[in-house]
Amino acid sequence: MIGAYIHIPYCRTLCPYCDFCSVDIPGAVPSAYVQAVCQEILTFRHSRAVATIFFGGGTPSLVEEAGLRRIVDALRHKFRIAEDCEITIEANPDDVTAALVEGWKRVGINRVSLGVQSFDDATLRYLGRRHDAATAVRACGLVADTFDNWGMDLIFGAQPVDAWPETLEQCIAVQPKHVSAYGLTYEPETPFAARSHDAVDDETWLGLYRQAAARLAEYDHYEISNYAMAGYHCRHNLIYWRNQEYAGFGAAAYSFIDSVRARNPADIERYTAHPGLKEESICLTDREIRVETLIQHFRLREGIEKAAFARRFGCEIRPEFAAALDGLIERGLLWEDEERIAPTARGFELNNEIGLAIVG
Amino acid sequence: MATPIERIRNFSIVAHIDHGKSTLADRLLELTGTVALREMKEQTLDTMDIERERGITIKAVAVRMNYRASDGQDYELNLIDTPGHVDFSYEVSRSLAACEGALLLVDAAQGVEAQTLANAYKAIEANLEIIPVINKIDLPSADIESAKRQIEDIIGLDAEGAILTSAKEGRGAREVLEAVVHRIPSPRGNRNAPLRALIFDAIYNSYRGVIVFVRVVDGAMRAGSKVLMMSMNQKYEVDELGVLTPGLTPGDSLEAGEVGYVICNIKTLQSIKIGDTITDAQNPAKTPLPGYKDVQPVVFCGMYPAVATDFEELRDALERLQLNDSAFVFQADSSDALGLGFRLGFLGLLHMEIVQERLEREFNLTLVSTMPNVAYHIIKVSGEEFIIENASKMPPPGEIEVIEEPYIEADILCPTEYLSAVIELCKKKRGIHVRVDYIDSKRCMAVYQMPLAEIVLDFYDRLKTLTRGYGSLEYRIIGYRPGELVKLDLLLNGEPVDALSSIVHRDRAVMLGRRLASRLRKAIPRQQFEVAIQAAIGSRIIVRETIKPLRKNVTAKCYGGDITRKRKLLEKQKEGKRRMKQIGLVEVPQEAFMALLRVDEDD
Repeated sequence: MIGAYIHIPYCRTLCPYCDFCSVDIPGAVPSAYVQAVCQEILTFRHSRAVATIFFGGGTPSLVEEAGLRRIVDALRHKFRIAEDCEITIEANPDDVTAALVEGWKRVGINRVSLGVQSFDDATLRYLGRRHDAATAVRACGLVADTFDNWGMDLIFGAQPVDAWPETLEQCIAVQPKHVSAYGLTYEPETPFAARSHDAVDDETWLGLYRQAAARLAEYDHYEISNYAMAGYHCRHNLIYWRNQEYAGFGAAAYSFIDSVRARNPADIERYTAHPGLKEESICLTDREIRVETLIQHFRLREGIEKAAFARRFGCEIRPEFAAALDGLIERGLLWEDEERIAPTARGFELNNEIGLAIVG
Repeated sequence: MATPIERIRNFSIVAHIDHGKSTLADRLLELTGTVALREMKEQTLDTMDIERERGITIKAVAVRMNYRASDGQDYELNLIDTPGHVDFSYEVSRSLAACEGALLLVDAAQGVEAQTLANAYKAIEANLEIIPVINKIDLPSADIESAKRQIEDIIGLDAEGAILTSAKEGRGAREVLEAVVHRIPSPRGNRNAPLRALIFDAIYNSYRGVIVFVRVVDGAMRAGSKVLMMSMNQKYEVDELGVLTPGLTPGDSLEAGEVGYVICNIKTLQSIKIGDTITDAQNPAKTPLPGYKDVQPVVFCGMYPAVATDFEELRDALERLQLNDSAFVFQADSSDALGLGFRLGFLGLLHMEIVQERLEREFNLTLVSTMPNVAYHIIKVSGEEFIIENASKMPPPGEIEVIEEPYIEADILCPTEYLSAVIELCKKKRGIHVRVDYIDSKRCMAVYQMPLAEIVLDFYDRLKTLTRGYGSLEYRIIGYRPGELVKLDLLLNGEPVDALSSIVHRDRAVMLGRRLASRLRKAIPRQQFEVAIQAAIGSRIIVRETIKPLRKNVTAKCYGGDITRKRKLLEKQKEGKRRMKQIGLVEVPQEAFMALLRVDEDD
């Protein structure tokens, strides 16, 4: 079983902090792009059963219903789609209308992730978002009316920093099933790189991060930045965090199948001209896959089940990683019992230290 | 057929670094057809990569040139190259002993510099005929008259017959060759006497073993003959001998007056002694030639493999490196903080850097080096006396009667406008004023005695900065003197780190301790736990700094495309961490050790 990711590299306007691949367009996503994605799906070299489908971006809510249908049909034509397939779409609050949401339902989408980011107008302006808090609340309502499985993305660490508790309150008030709370990063090669002096210090960052964890205590804090109600974990993203196989379609999308991590061209024209052409394919060694698998699993509260690792790779975690793991356990970043090895709360906050020890 | 002795000329070029010695040598080789133009790499005499990159000559090399002079006669000219940096000044003396004459090369724009002076004196001491050559006359800033005046006033040589050259443009090269032929005397020597040949240099070659460079003074050496190294008292058979053109060109014999190479199945440079006399084993000479004094290392540091398991590899690398650089010494050492490693001795700071760079580059080792230091002479209350090369070996203060440290006398040449800054610097470095000589209205020479330890750190860099590059330095060791010295310890989380302790002057200990602690705080990255850095003299803590713990280190998002990128980023960071040394629970980067070197800048 694999996850299928479809990248929609278009936005109405570009957010100045975002470093995902996207270009701004005035109207709907061009049908030529949809056509190219369908072609890439239909000519895909591997045939697998699909457990999850995820429309990400960019702004997938700019794809018209017909476009989404063509893509889903192409997937159904090419792959066996699991009965309980999770089909997610990411959406911008100011695109959301009752009609649009109804359309998603008709296409077969069963999970919506709203890019709310904040319920504070000043923060939204700082982030360069087009919507305001009222629009976000309205969008949540519209989505919640139609979809049981929905969630939102939030950003902390943006200015004004102290708006965060109120955003958390409003989030809880609308009762999403899933929350992703990301610390703002000032990515190089984005307009925000020039504002990195705004970045909060580590102590403040940690305070905001812990506020989220405390306020969202009802949810399962199942990944560093992700919270879910019981049964509403994002199955698609779990595929990444468990380092399982996935196929990515669309410009700049990545696939990981049969040990090969491959990247599509980020250039949309280039992608559209030759859908399926890979810009880069790296065949990972078994060791690299083991390393990446551990690093990814340690982003998850569940960590890694020792028997599952042994089944997957035909060898125990120890002795290969014994020194690193023992060191990390001693430093209080991991814990271990009979069944599994998993990060502690500090292991989330100092997660890169875990990664550093594992690669060594 | 050996060249008649009266048609041989052996000479060197002595100069300050960068005054164009290698370029002039190239022009002479070119003009005598010794090296075909197309075969010429730039600056033929500098053979090692590091030499070419750093623009310095480390190993002296000899080249034979055949030259038909204006008198119609064919001459054999042996050019013996000399290194230009102060650390290698002993090699200059060795090379000069094989010559009858020297070209004293002076940059027309820069004038006489400290090393010009030092090397000129060495040539005078060796009784050589000295021909002043004023180079770089093509430069717009060239001032030939001033250069001549400086040669006369500072060095005391007649500059009337100075040859004007632009080695870069090839001007004056023929005049130089004519002067070599007509002004430098031919070697004196008795070709019928028993063989006496002076070893003035040697290199190690992995295919041929040790290649010995000799100047035959008396008699002749023949291929296949048995020879005796007089001071080592070792006999060898000559497998091959010949001349350098500049590649090895084998021949049948080397006659008195000639310069060449000898190969006789010698496995290591340690088996021979530079300055030794080679004689005939069957018909030995009665007395050896005057040799040179042994070279003593003056700067020491510890080198430790970043990964403990590389210890044996480091030992192999040191042994192999010593095959072609016999001037550094090493012995196994262990540090509580850094584990098993070596204590190395060098001729100077540059020499140290070169050795470290070669170890890393040629042997692919990652090393952690400790702060360089000098050797100290300790006299204990009990009357026991010994030399320590490592601060951590210092006995407790109560047992020490006197600590003596090595002193040098430094000649510092600089434009007069920088004199007060130079004096200020020397004072700061505990310098004792000897005198100031005014060379002309523009330049002067300050002579100071000061502790070698002060030079070892950053004196040279500071001097260059203060004088905008115009100041130059030359020094000689003048012996040990007692000093008010104390051992300064650095502690990480309460544990003294032996590799970070140093011996410093009492009056400056507190200030230095502060700076070192502050440097260390900046160089050590945040760790998961708080790190306390303390500086202490004996049991007295003089300063404490704290590195706050790492609060968070996490990547917020990691999805499909990020996974391999993230792993690679982590691997790259990890590569940087390999240079770190785990001391207790604290990871200390190599830069932390090196950061301590530059203690004198204002923090």
